[in-house]
Amino acid sequence: MNKTKEKNVPMIKGRSYWADSLRQLRKHKLAMYSLSIIVVYILVVMFIYLASWTKTDVSFLDWNQTVGKGYEKPNKQNVLGTDFLGRSVLRKTIYGARVSLTVAFWASIISMLIGVPLGAAAGYFRGFIDDIVVWIYTTLSSIPYILLILAFALVLRDKTLNLNWLGLDAISLSGISTVYLAIGLTSWVDICRLIRAETMKHKQREYILAALSYGCSNSRIIFRHLLPNVFHLIIISFSLRFVGFIQAEVILSFLGLGEKNSPSWGSMIDAARLDLPKGYWWEMTAATAAIFLISLALNIFGDALRDSLDPKLKVQ
Amino acid sequence: MRYCFCAILLLIAGCRYSANNPDPNDTVLYSAHSAKVRGLDPGDVGDTTSAIVASQMIECLYQYHYLKRPYQVVPCLAESMPAMSGDGLVYTIKIKKGVRFYDDACFKDGKGRELKAGDFVFAWKRIADIKYLSKNWWIFDNKIIGLDEFRQYSKTCKTAADVDYNTPVEGLQTPDDWTLIIKLKGRPWPQIVDLLAHLPTAPMAKEAVDYYGKDIINHPVGTGPYKLKRWHKGSYIEMVKNPTFRDEFYPSEGEPNDIKNGLLADAGKKLPLTNRLVSVLIQENPPLWFLFLQGKIDVSGIPKDNFSEAIDLRQQLTPEMKARNIKLFTFRDPSTYWFGFNMEDEVLGKNLPLRMALSCAVDRDKYIELFTNNRGEPAYGFIPPLMSSYNPDIKNIAQTSYNVQKARKLVKEAEQIYGSKLPTLTLAMPGTDIVFRQEGDFLKRCFKDAGLDVEMDYMDWPTFQNKIKTKSAQMFTLGWIGDIPDVENFLQLFYSKNISPGSNNFNYSNPEFDKIYEKASIMPDSPEREALYRKAEEIVVKDCPAVFLVHGVAFILTHDWAYNVKPHAFAYGTAKYRRVDEAKKAAYSELLRTLK
Repeated sequence: MNKTKEKNVPMIKGRSYWADSLRQLRKHKLAMYSLSIIVVYILVVMFIYLASWTKTDVSFLDWNQTVGKGYEKPNKQNVLGTDFLGRSVLRKTIYGARVSLTVAFWASIISMLIGVPLGAAAGYFRGFIDDIVVWIYTTLSSIPYILLILAFALVLRDKTLNLNWLGLDAISLSGISTVYLAIGLTSWVDICRLIRAETMKHKQREYILAALSYGCSNSRIIFRHLLPNVFHLIIISFSLRFVGFIQAEVILSFLGLGEKNSPSWGSMIDAARLDLPKGYWWEMTAATAAIFLISLALNIFGDALRDSLDPKLKVQ
Repeated sequence: MRYCFCAILLLIAGCRYSANNPDPNDTVLYSAHSAKVRGLDPGDVGDTTSAIVASQMIECLYQYHYLKRPYQVVPCLAESMPAMSGDGLVYTIKIKKGVRFYDDACFKDGKGRELKAGDFVFAWKRIADIKYLSKNWWIFDNKIIGLDEFRQYSKTCKTAADVDYNTPVEGLQTPDDWTLIIKLKGRPWPQIVDLLAHLPTAPMAKEAVDYYGKDIINHPVGTGPYKLKRWHKGSYIEMVKNPTFRDEFYPSEGEPNDIKNGLLADAGKKLPLTNRLVSVLIQENPPLWFLFLQGKIDVSGIPKDNFSEAIDLRQQLTPEMKARNIKLFTFRDPSTYWFGFNMEDEVLGKNLPLRMALSCAVDRDKYIELFTNNRGEPAYGFIPPLMSSYNPDIKNIAQTSYNVQKARKLVKEAEQIYGSKLPTLTLAMPGTDIVFRQEGDFLKRCFKDAGLDVEMDYMDWPTFQNKIKTKSAQMFTLGWIGDIPDVENFLQLFYSKNISPGSNNFNYSNPEFDKIYEKASIMPDSPEREALYRKAEEIVVKDCPAVFLVHGVAFILTHDWAYNVKPHAFAYGTAKYRRVDEAKKAAYSELLRTLK
């Protein structure tokens, strides 16, 4: 009897927070288009890395090859025209994605690795630790952002990072690694602030009090209980700040502090700055279009992600 | 706050110069500079822009004849050319009487006093004074009896104020106020006359240094045709005619073509021919170019970006420029640009085929087209073509013209000498901006075609200088612009006693060259000396311590209302010869309207 009764009860399958958010995100068509654009960019960059690691000769990645005369207008052979040495602007634009995305990725990782633990520690322990963290980030944020990045980039340039104590080889900082280190080391303040505030809020919640009463250690509470509950903020921040990092890379390259030996969008714009008065518009157009497309896609996708992940926005 | 904002606006408005000249009798020459004016103290001037501006107000013992070519030094503050003793070690110079410093607050009652021989001695002791840290000590270094000792003495003084300028220097004597005797340290110094036409050797009034102190860089006090009226830092400098300027007249002799070109129309007229000079200071090229096109600047160079707008493929003015009655002047710069090799480097120093391969790999014509808008001539040696000792046959002697096949062959020879495949070489570039990077991309490609791997190392100027001084740059891009017509100026760059941290950045050493240099550098100008200079250049190019790239050619544009424009490679204070036709200038705006 009981068995038949159980059969009649409709089973409602519970959805986890993440599954629910994902479902909501999937409904957002524009976000999905944006995601596909982002995926295409990422695939291109991964392909470039794969080709260089396996030493595969892929003709459309050989940006340094002369494909025509200098300053050829866009035509059938060279869709986006050529630069001053007769190199394909299309190939340079594709290759430029490597620098921009790599920089943005590593800068995001570095800023998260600094900002999240510091924010969580400050919010959880308060007191002396909080004072120090708040003092550091207030000082950092009082310096204009671009000047700070420039200062870091200039100081870090051509330095060697000694990682022998980690059992790794020393890393010499040049071009691209200088850029993402400079950006990463200067842009952790916002995420740190966010995580600190959120941790302070969560610390008062019952599940933390329960964990405390069970006698969990502080590190267990922070890493096993607190951080997973504020992780959505990290993801949202990651996606939204990614655009800012791409732009910061462009600015640094434009100012001559970025990657030197391979094309990046910033250096393309810098080069095109001199060509534009002569009427050679295609290099500028190609680089700015590439930046525009990825920035737009990341912005739309980041917004949609926030809408679906942030519980407060969900209630509204 | 609003008032404050208005006040700022007014201040900015006050700083702008006006090119509309309401008084038709008042003639004004407008020129433009895109580099900063760092200071107008002649003893410490080290950059071209400051030297150009200061030279309109400050004069030297000698100057260059404005019209004659080859370049000729003539007396300026000196009465005549110097009298030289038989052994060439004592120079006696008579100074013009009645020359006055222009009126300035530093003098008694604000009235400029008469120039005396002691003003030169004071100025040169000041350059020797180590506390003053002049950039121009190289001029007098180890030349005049007692001056190096004075420098040593200044080292022992605790503060700058402790240095007593009355300390006698044996080699600088003034028997009376209009006679200057210079005694040299056992070696003749034939370049002295050219250098006495060089701005840093100008006289200095002690009153001015005492009165202005460190602020002297903002208050030039000279004897020149113009005096400073206003200097809005970063905006413009205005100079007005010096009412107490001595009698100096426009030259009445020149080159045969000068009469045809109207350059002798003002012969015998009292200088200066223009009442005021305005030097507009704008660091960005586009606004400068637009001001020139609008007729608000009378004489201008051509920014790289606007070159095709002004000059066509035949190196002539474009129809747009001709319609504006703009005139073009081209002249050879006393400059050579190269990328040098560190001869003490393990790989490069012992491998002549490798150095020659690098030289043969560079397509100089393409380089000149891409990076100088064809404003240059390919270089195969270091003596610029405008110098009398230039060797027209140097290309055949050097055997380093662009030839990829030859370069590849030489690379193979170089590999045999090296013993294995050549390592990646590094070329240091003194800048990080896109112009340097494009240059780097181009050179890298040239070398790659020849089978050589060269990496570019872009760095800022101080880092670059440091690398060169410490001999840690393998290859480096540099150049030299001659200060004086004497080629010794270029030769000393290869003299073994000058190796880094001296001026021989190549760390090049060849006893045969040294011998010729030591002999020629103390000889007076003669066909014999020219032959020795050529021989010395031959030795250098055969050793190939550098890839000589290009000799500069300068392009200058003027509006048709600016007269007596004749470009000069060495003289800076030439504005006094120029004349402006204000009526023609006023008609230009009408012309612009019809063109639109």
